[in-house]
Order: sequence, then structure tokens, then C-alpha cells
Amino acid sequence: MLYPLTVALLVASVVLLAVAAGYAVRRRLVDDRLLLVAAVVELGLVVQLVVALAHLGSVPGDSAEQATFAAYAITLPFVPPAAVFLALKEKTRWAMGVVAVGAFAVAVMTARLQQIWNLGG
Amino acid sequence: MAEPQPERQPDRQGELLRTPRSTRSGPGVVLVAVYGLLALAATGRSVLQISEYFSRAPLAYLLSALAAVIYVVATVALARGDRTSRTVALVAISIELVGVLVVGLASYLAKDAFPDKTVWSHFGSGYGFVPLVLPVLGLLWLRRTAAPTA
Repeated sequence: MLYPLTVALLVASVVLLAVAAGYAVRRRLVDDRLLLVAAVVELGLVVQLVVALAHLGSVPGDSAEQATFAAYAITLPFVPPAAVFLALKEKTRWAMGVVAVGAFAVAVMTARLQQIWNLGG
Repeated sequence: MAEPQPERQPDRQGELLRTPRSTRSGPGVVLVAVYGLLALAATGRSVLQISEYFSRAPLAYLLSALAAVIYVVATVALARGDRTSRTVALVAISIELVGVLVVGLASYLAKDAFPDKTVWSHFGSGYGFVPLVLPVLGLLWLRRTAAPTA
């Protein structure tokens, strides 16, 4: 995958994680600022999906690795909306727990995507 | 920007005294999120294992598929949280706990049958041991939210 995009996504998801942690400490709920950070992550994931699908043919490894690569890229953009949806309905500080779990998952899955891509060297 | 929001009022005393608390609010919403993620991860990996190289380790991959089904059922049951769902969740999470313990142990004793990681093998070490901790938290949460016995 595009290395700068992976780095940008990792940074954005860590920022989202940090914002969620800060909000949890201060007992804040989902607001515009948090949604904006989540939207930035989402935008990056959509760009990543487009790039990933465009380069699907050149994914290194066997068909299983290519399938994993495609599955990660396609699943990722669903994670932030799902997390935000659950968090919006929750009116306690646990809402931020959901956002944090989602942000963490985005970071891990994005790193995995890069890892599969790097298999080709 | 946003004003600090007050924590939601706890359920009023008297009301809902015999009704179980919702399993999807408070800490439960995080539980639902983590279960959802594991359901996704286990389903994806299971589909891949069975469609791409099932013959390599049929038993391990069937157990992997069972794990995926259990996670999906547990996620839905915890998210719904009505009476029937609580029972379903209890059964699913109990099977999950037994499964992760048995498969975890078996993957150390019978290495040949578990050539690569599944969600339950090696006590879920491929997933940061979340599969080992999650059913315990799930059962505690079900007990915590249960209706007080008369």
C-alpha cells in the first residue's frame, strides 16, 4: 500500500483514540469535533479502499493473501461509522470506549494491510 | 465547543426492579463493540480457511467456523438484550469460554491439528488474548445486569 497513506491513517486513528480517551476522562459525549476526527479517518479509509482495489492485481502472495487484503480494505471503511453509531446512542462515558475500540481496530487493520503489501518486498 | 455532559442518571429505584438491565448500555456497549469486531475477524478468517485450504486442518477450521458463529450470535444477543436474548447470550458465551479453553489447550497438546492460528488456538494469543478474557467479562456482565432475584 501507499506508505504515506498508511502512516497518515495510523496517525489519524491514534488522534481519534486520544480524543476519545480525553473525552472519556472529561465525561464528554460524541460532538462535532469528535465526528470531524472520525470523518478524517473515514476519508483516509475510503481513499485507501480505492487505492487497494486499483492495485489488487499486484498484491504479493497467493490468492488467500489477496483475499485477505481485499477483505481488510473493504471492511475498514465500515468500522468508524459503526463505532460512531453505537457511541451516539450511548449517553455515558462508555460511548468513548466504543470509539476507542473502533480507532484501535482501524490502526491494527491498516497496519495488517501494509504488512500484507510488504510481503512482496 | 461541547458542554461537559452529565453522566446518565442510574435507573430509578423501584422501577424496573424485577426487570434485567439492558445488556447494551454502559459498559455493555463496549462489550457489544468488541464482540462485533471479533465476530467480523473470526468470520473473515474462517471463510478464508475453509474456502482456500480446508484440507490442511479440517478440525481446526471447523472449530474456527464454530467460533465465528458463536461470536455472531453473542454479538446480536448482547445488542438486543431482551429476556430471550439474555438466555441465548448466556449459552453462546458459555460455549465460547469452554471453546477457547479446550481449543487453547488442544493447540498446545496436538500441534499438528492446528497448523496455523485460529481465533481460539493458543488461548487467542493471535488476538491479544482478547478471546480468553472476553467470555469472562461477558458472563460477569450478564450476571451484573440480571434481574435481582426476589
